[in-house]
Amino acid sequence: MKRRSAIKSLVIIAGGIAIMPSCSTEPGKASIDLKKININADQEALLAEIAETIIPKNNKPGAKELNLHLFILKMVDDCHNEEDQKAFIEGLNSMDKLAKSKYGSAFAACDPKQKINLLNAISKEEGDAKGATAFLKIAKRRIIQGFMNSKYVMTDLKKYELVPGRYNGYFPAKQA
Amino acid sequence: MPEITGDSIKDRTFDAIVIGSGISGGWSAKELTEKGLKTLLLERGRDVKHIKDYPTTNKLPYEFEHRGEVPLDIQKEAPIVSRCYAFREDTLHFFLKDKEHPYIEQKPFDWIRGYQVGGKSLIWARQTQRWSDFDFEGPARDGFAVDWPIRYKDIAPWYSHVEKFAGISGNRDGLAELPDGEFLPSYPLNAVENYFKEQVNKNYKNRHIISARGAHISKPQQVHFDQGRGQCQNRTLCQRGCPFGGYFSSNASTIPWAEKTGNLTLRPFSVVHSIIYDEQKGKATGVKVIDANTKQEIEFYAKIIFVNAAALNTNLILLNSISKRFPNGLGNDSDLLGKYVAFHNYSSTVSGEYDGMKEFTTDGRNPVGGGYVPRFRNVFKQETDFLRGYAAGFSARRSQDTDSSGFGDALKENLLNPKLGPWRVGSHMMGETIPKATNFVTLDKNLKDAWGIPQLSISVDYDDNDQKMIKDYEDEFSEMFTKAGFTNVKVSRTQKAPGLDIHEMGGVRMGNDPRTSLLNKWNQLHHCKNVFVTDGACMTSTSTQNPSLTYMAFSARAADYAFAELKKGNL
Repeated sequence: MKRRSAIKSLVIIAGGIAIMPSCSTEPGKASIDLKKININADQEALLAEIAETIIPKNNKPGAKELNLHLFILKMVDDCHNEEDQKAFIEGLNSMDKLAKSKYGSAFAACDPKQKINLLNAISKEEGDAKGATAFLKIAKRRIIQGFMNSKYVMTDLKKYELVPGRYNGYFPAKQA
Repeated sequence: MPEITGDSIKDRTFDAIVIGSGISGGWSAKELTEKGLKTLLLERGRDVKHIKDYPTTNKLPYEFEHRGEVPLDIQKEAPIVSRCYAFREDTLHFFLKDKEHPYIEQKPFDWIRGYQVGGKSLIWARQTQRWSDFDFEGPARDGFAVDWPIRYKDIAPWYSHVEKFAGISGNRDGLAELPDGEFLPSYPLNAVENYFKEQVNKNYKNRHIISARGAHISKPQQVHFDQGRGQCQNRTLCQRGCPFGGYFSSNASTIPWAEKTGNLTLRPFSVVHSIIYDEQKGKATGVKVIDANTKQEIEFYAKIIFVNAAALNTNLILLNSISKRFPNGLGNDSDLLGKYVAFHNYSSTVSGEYDGMKEFTTDGRNPVGGGYVPRFRNVFKQETDFLRGYAAGFSARRSQDTDSSGFGDALKENLLNPKLGPWRVGSHMMGETIPKATNFVTLDKNLKDAWGIPQLSISVDYDDNDQKMIKDYEDEFSEMFTKAGFTNVKVSRTQKAPGLDIHEMGGVRMGNDPRTSLLNKWNQLHHCKNVFVTDGACMTSTSTQNPSLTYMAFSARAADYAFAELKKGNL
């Protein structure tokens, strides 16, 4: 029984679903099991910072707390083709360099406003930032998907109904 | 349920054999067992017990690892079914892996299959409309295929029979071209669907927008409670299998009903190789089966055989049933077996927006999807330069405008507070295609599947009539939308390969004349009277209705006839 509960606690909850942790105990590896893409602990930490910038913690949990950066990795690993995966990793790897050239420090060390400005520059494909646009597009799409479909949002904020038991085609819009 | 354990011929002999447990096979088995016939129901895939074997049915969206998306590795194993709208992370276990079940596409054909007990009845779209005499008289009036050997009056009581049991929601719309049935209360049209209905009534003669009719129990009757089924709960997660039995499937309805009679033997993992023909007796005596797991060959025997393997697999089995008497396939004296295959043309959609009715939205979910537009082209007389016509689905929903620009707190707030946008409206065509000798299936002479059965080779394509019909649908619906005040009206051609409609039909068509058809008016092979075909293979023409309800009615009607003939000693 003890072993069972130990295994259970090792499962990582990302947005409400368990993801298998990495089998590797080697330091410096990503914390979840990935089949196709190679991600190390530093890249994972950087992605967590970017995810937190996209959906930050305020009075409601943010991306890091919901482990949405791990959800992005899972989706990129299983649901994107090689071309996307390559663009994703290249873009992720360029983030610190972009932050340094713009603000003189690595992404994680930038202040919140700088981080958002950088993401805006990337999505507007400004100059060098263009190299990370494909990465950011994937990351943002997946983080929004993961957030809106997270257990937290679907139970605490916008209740998902498994069994509506009704249909009204003339529901007052004011009450919606 | 009796177990098949013994090896003796006696243990392998039944009154009736039904090949296939999908929507039509389930009905054949139900009707035959209710009449007291010991019936063997063969299914090539695994068993799927109602509720117990619906692994995803109560999962919440965030409990799916990929939030409903199918991972690319799985798509690679199933490139064809991956194109099906219903193939998702929550339903993929009810579709096969294409690579395990190869076939030859002489022309592109997306053959969508579900190899398990219940077949595609678990994952169907549940739309159910009766045919009318405008459909049955089509081939004779318009000079294609052959005349149907039946008319509406022959099948009408059987439509009633299956509708009452299955549970069909709908309105009595009083339309000659789409006869009313035994309906449970309809799912009403919403504000904009009704608005469109009124606009079309005002602007056109003989065009109607009605509530879609569907196999959903909107108000359960005793016969549904007796099946252990209850009211549809508007989940619209149907293709996972419904824990309420809210929609009709073989698994929820006909198969457990047949089991309760004590006369059913269900044998999953039974791939039918061929039907055994006895040259002396001049009739079929049984079925040769390959066990899907052990690959052992086993023979089962019965007085009557119902072939309900799904349209193209029924063709395959008959083509592979070779004897001295029938060197080209069972009952195939006419050499028409496998020919005149047709389907439904879903190649185009028309969409738009409506800026009015903003005081309304919808709440809950509509399990039948919205509205249905019965065929209005060439119904009462030929009026265009193409033959036949199309029905269409029509639905409206209030859109949600979410501002997902930017990053940070503002983005987070916007995501959580979407605004109601305009109503979006959409329609899709369901066109009749004309059966032709040049649209056919054959057996490949060399390639076999993992069970040693020849692979099916499919050569089916669109023609000029289909192209003209697509254009007409696009023009007419664009005009209907524009006249109704919809804006941003857009046509979108989908270029689907045949097959993706999952309404493939024909190859073993019914007809009066044994020289030009395979089956008589009782779905009985003209030349092998104890073999009945009541799935999509029997269809002489396709018309525009979703076909499953008609297969159910054919199955019940043929089972009734077969039992009577058996009692008279005619089979």
